[in-house]
Amino acid sequence: MSSLSTNEIRVGMKVEVDKEPWLIISNEFVKPGKGNAFNRIKMKNMVTGRVVERTYKSGDKLDVADIEEAQMRFLYKEADGAIFMDDKTFDQITISNEIIGNNQPWLMEELIYQVVFYKGAVIELIPPTFMEMKIVETSPGVRGDTSGRVLKPATTETGAKIQVPIFVEEGEKVKVDTRTGEYVSRANN
Amino acid sequence: MLQDRALMLKKARAFFDDRGVLEVDCCALGPRAAIGSNIDVIEAAVSNQETGFLHTSPEYAMKRLLASGSGDIYYLSHVFRKGDIGRLHNPEFAMVEWYRLGLSFSELIEETCAFLCLFFGPSPVRTIGYREAFERYAGIDYTAAPLSEIKKAARKLGASDSENWNRDIFIHFLLTHAIEPHLGHGELTVLTDYPPHEAALAQVVEKNGEQVAERFEIYYETVELANGYHELADASELRRRFNAENERRRSQNKETYLLDEPFLAAMENGFPECCGVSVGFDRALMLRRKAKSLAEVLPFAWTK
Repeated sequence: MSSLSTNEIRVGMKVEVDKEPWLIISNEFVKPGKGNAFNRIKMKNMVTGRVVERTYKSGDKLDVADIEEAQMRFLYKEADGAIFMDDKTFDQITISNEIIGNNQPWLMEELIYQVVFYKGAVIELIPPTFMEMKIVETSPGVRGDTSGRVLKPATTETGAKIQVPIFVEEGEKVKVDTRTGEYVSRANN
Repeated sequence: MLQDRALMLKKARAFFDDRGVLEVDCCALGPRAAIGSNIDVIEAAVSNQETGFLHTSPEYAMKRLLASGSGDIYYLSHVFRKGDIGRLHNPEFAMVEWYRLGLSFSELIEETCAFLCLFFGPSPVRTIGYREAFERYAGIDYTAAPLSEIKKAARKLGASDSENWNRDIFIHFLLTHAIEPHLGHGELTVLTDYPPHEAALAQVVEKNGEQVAERFEIYYETVELANGYHELADASELRRRFNAENERRRSQNKETYLLDEPFLAAMENGFPECCGVSVGFDRALMLRRKAKSLAEVLPFAWTK
């Protein structure tokens, strides 16, 4: 396993600590007068999402986490998970409902998702940042207010509950930011 | 920003002019390195045959001038430290260092606070001993506590304490993580009465039945700004401490440095009773500007 000195660790790198993968959020050099130098490293557990701050002696080594990422196509849902396929190898894998978690409403067949593996096992599913989806349920559209500032609840074809401007009608396609679950615009089609 | 730096350089020089302290210009490049276990020196190829070192502070050179009878002197220019790169560190930074023959240890602390007030305006001053600071903010009697207790306190604050951590490293960890965050809030905090093994080049004296180093540091808004000593004049004790620092370096697998013999010879010929201090000029400027990092106030930061 390769390792990195605390001085080489940058934001966004992935390290292994206590047999778990962590994403580096910040790395601050700390040194008292005439004293030992440290690196105060803030990192996020890539499995649990927990954020911790750990301080290392400058120059100490951290192992690089065995993280791989793949682009995979969502095929269909099963009772205990969802089936994804690698377009290049045609390999199919099942991603459990537990890993899918809050991303259930962002599953759309035939779209390409980012899948993160740690030591060969899936730890995270990342949907496309922007997705276009049809509104299947909302109160009738109100003409006149086109500012987009007045919102109403709506449900999309994937089951996502979002807020849309009052002029949006059932059957229309909208663009949604999957990081925040917020309406972005009407889809251009 | 450029104007403010120029203004503070002018005010700093006026501060010393008013007190009859002479500005001296020391060599930044010399044949010998300063020896500190935690301060690494930038080497420079002076010619194809000779290696020189950029000074980490003007201390040895100024002490040679003092030994030759210079009287009160100050230096205001750049120094260099290898590997010190971060929010509060730049490998090259401006330092103000001065030595006073007529001032006692406590008088030099007062003068240093007055100097810092040039940057921040009048500020209250609080003095706390190293031992008291550890008791109050880390809950540790650092002289008596077993290593297990020190480790426990450090772990709570996120110390990774891998196997290569010794007692000194834990103490420095607690200093930076448990104590410094409490220092200098709306005041200048003077941390003093250092343990003997943290004396660096300060005299060690007995105070209330305890051996303490006459060394101080001053903090403002949690940032360390000044480091001063009642200067050790004993050349053989200096030699002993340099060797001990080299030994610490060796134990950390760092390169060791040759002793600066011309400096030690000068000290042997007679060094005046005096106190000295150095102040990080760029850090003081950073806090004056309410900036968060040195890079914001350096015209040419290493990381820019």
